[in-house]
Amino acid sequence: MFERFQSGARQAVVGAQENARRLNHTHVGTEHLLLGLLGRPENLSTRVLGRYGVDHGRVYRAVAEATAGRRGDDLDAGALETIGIDLSAIREKVEAAFGPGALDRAPRPREGRLFGGRHIPLTRRAKKVLELSLREAVHMRHGSIGDGHMLLGILREREGLAARVLTGANVDLALLRQDVVRELG
Amino acid sequence: MSDTAQLASDAGSRDPAVGLRAVRALRMLVDRLEALQVENARERGWSWQEIASCLEVTRQAVHKKYAGGRGLLRRER
Repeated sequence: MFERFQSGARQAVVGAQENARRLNHTHVGTEHLLLGLLGRPENLSTRVLGRYGVDHGRVYRAVAEATAGRRGDDLDAGALETIGIDLSAIREKVEAAFGPGALDRAPRPREGRLFGGRHIPLTRRAKKVLELSLREAVHMRHGSIGDGHMLLGILREREGLAARVLTGANVDLALLRQDVVRELG
Repeated sequence: MSDTAQLASDAGSRDPAVGLRAVRALRMLVDRLEALQVENARERGWSWQEIASCLEVTRQAVHKKYAGGRGLLRRER
């Protein structure tokens, strides 16, 4: 199936993995696919979503918030304080150099994920989104899958965190769908 | 006495539960920092040997710990 993905859609899948890694998540879900799409300004989906006031930063924050309880290995600020270490001061310096959330990515060196970029598995819903994006492209008689088809896949799938985040940002999914279809021509 | 100093002196109460938890937290923090710095060094083109020298460990140790599979993302970088 992947050979039919255009570079924008391919890069979105790669970006989804990067986002999942950055969020320290163990699976790539629909929300990471959406983040992957939004990571590229040149994407059709980024442009269309921008008109709805939705961008990468906003979705990232919403996803981080929605999945906050998921991380099992947060740094123990209280324990560090007992030996005189101010975690917030360390976090501030590290984030100044490496960006927000840099300290919160748990290393998984033995599995090689953090550096090797080994594949983070897709959730059932994320796989469904990819299937649906293929179906959308076929239905529109487009020869390959672009990032716009992927966004349609996300909207069609409807139940994943990506769709919920969009709804939470007051996006009318039906209207968005029409917009994307129009742009795809 | 500040809160932090108070907590630090609590650690001096020799309660193993407090002390061990602090050690564990510190180790996790060090792991995070090390991973971040190694990743950064690799992105800047440092060799495993150079990184190992700075960390005062063997090249094999650092390579084994951090050199993952040859993934998609690595080639992208």
